[in-house]
Amino acid sequence: MKRWIPVALCVLCTMYVDAVRMSAAGQPANADASTLSDFKKRLDAYMAVHNAAEEKVGALDPTKSPKEIADRESALGQAIRGGRMNAKPGDVLTPEVARIFRRIIRTEFAHRSRLALENREEAQDELPAFTPMVNQIYPTTYPLATFPPALLRELPELPKPIEYRLVRQYLILRDSQANLIVDVLPNAAPPMSGLTGSGRK
Amino acid sequence: MSRLTRRIAVVVFAAIAFVSVAAQDLQLPLKPNSVRFLVMGDTGTGDSEQYETAAQILKWRQRFPFAFAIMLGDNLYGSERPQDFVKKFERPYQALLDEKVEFNAALGNHDDQNQIYYKPFNLGGKRYRTFKKGDVRFFVLDSNYLDPEQLKWLEHELEGAGSDWKIAYFHHPMYTSATRGPVIELRAALEPLFIKYNVDVVFSGHEHLYERIYPQKGIYYFTEGGSAKLRAGDITKTSLTASGFDTDRSFMLVEIAGDEMFFQTVSRKGATIDSGILARRKVRTDLSPARNPATPVKQ
Repeated sequence: MKRWIPVALCVLCTMYVDAVRMSAAGQPANADASTLSDFKKRLDAYMAVHNAAEEKVGALDPTKSPKEIADRESALGQAIRGGRMNAKPGDVLTPEVARIFRRIIRTEFAHRSRLALENREEAQDELPAFTPMVNQIYPTTYPLATFPPALLRELPELPKPIEYRLVRQYLILRDSQANLIVDVLPNAAPPMSGLTGSGRK
Repeated sequence: MSRLTRRIAVVVFAAIAFVSVAAQDLQLPLKPNSVRFLVMGDTGTGDSEQYETAAQILKWRQRFPFAFAIMLGDNLYGSERPQDFVKKFERPYQALLDEKVEFNAALGNHDDQNQIYYKPFNLGGKRYRTFKKGDVRFFVLDSNYLDPEQLKWLEHELEGAGSDWKIAYFHHPMYTSATRGPVIELRAALEPLFIKYNVDVVFSGHEHLYERIYPQKGIYYFTEGGSAKLRAGDITKTSLTASGFDTDRSFMLVEIAGDEMFFQTVSRKGATIDSGILARRKVRTDLSPARNPATPVKQ
């Protein structure tokens, strides 16, 4: 009978180790899910401000008048800013979200070919150096760097009209209708490696 | 000047005049019921070269009356105040607008997304869309932000396009010999769909030059990003390059009739810099990835 004791102990030990391992693996996953759920709530809160502002300035149908488009974009931006005057970095991209996003982005970058990374740096080369800020109107004379499609597949979906953009190492959330920077995440992408070094406009 | 020298001078002058006139000949067949359109990209500078190219387009339209134009993005560079729409789009193309030429724009990386609301660009409030002319189906994509939703939409639309000609256009090139090179990630996302659903031709801008690429996996690629901006000397010809032009601005005239697409690329000065006939993908027997050059137009 006694000879079964070591076997039983072995089985119990194995089960314990597996349980610990599963727990360790499961915890980040659960934590990520909870953080991303919180991220969604924060996006919804922003969209509530956006929608209220849109109701105030009115919807826009296609028009021949560029003035109407420009006026509406500006009015929408102002109304949204008015609705979140105290917005600050990290309100939507909280430190917890930042941790997840940095991990996703850096892992994704690490798996890209040199040519793909060159493309990404070329796209950034077209941007003048500027520091994006929350509630800032994205400078209308600056281009927008193409966002890597492969990275879009990895990041959580955003409600329209919010989109992700990379400005050098910053990840920004941008309201494309109001041309407004909703939130900013510094050091999101790896630093530019100088693969292209062209800096051409 | 000796008699011989005079004769040589006359012959040389005649030859130059002949070549010059030939270069300005319309090489498109103007077949009945064909689909005719203008292709231009990276137009919105508002500078004199844009206006001169626009004037040349107008001249050619007298001989090749196209009904619509496709714009490959960067429709307005720099500021986008109401007066910029006038200076960089409405004024240079006023004569075409007056003649009810329909412009169908794609968005470039320099374009404010709210251009989707500008009626003359015909985006109808959307970043990407499809439209049909005759038996040609166009897919206008937003290559700045190729999100999964857009790809899903594209696949759905391509699947439903049946046997129409399929032409996709967007700003960033998937194949180019320009210095900056092709956008590899765009190619990875789009090429499988283009192959699966038999896209025939792809037009892009972004690189400020003209280039025709040898068919890649059976698909013809053109870059026409030099209709106002120019990056002189930027083509490093590679095995991809079927034809390239980077010394002046240019635009393309295209005619589709039956299973053939005729094209003629013209410079700001009015010279023909490339022309040819492409067969529709479904009737081509040689869809090898290597070479399947366009047939020169027979005079």
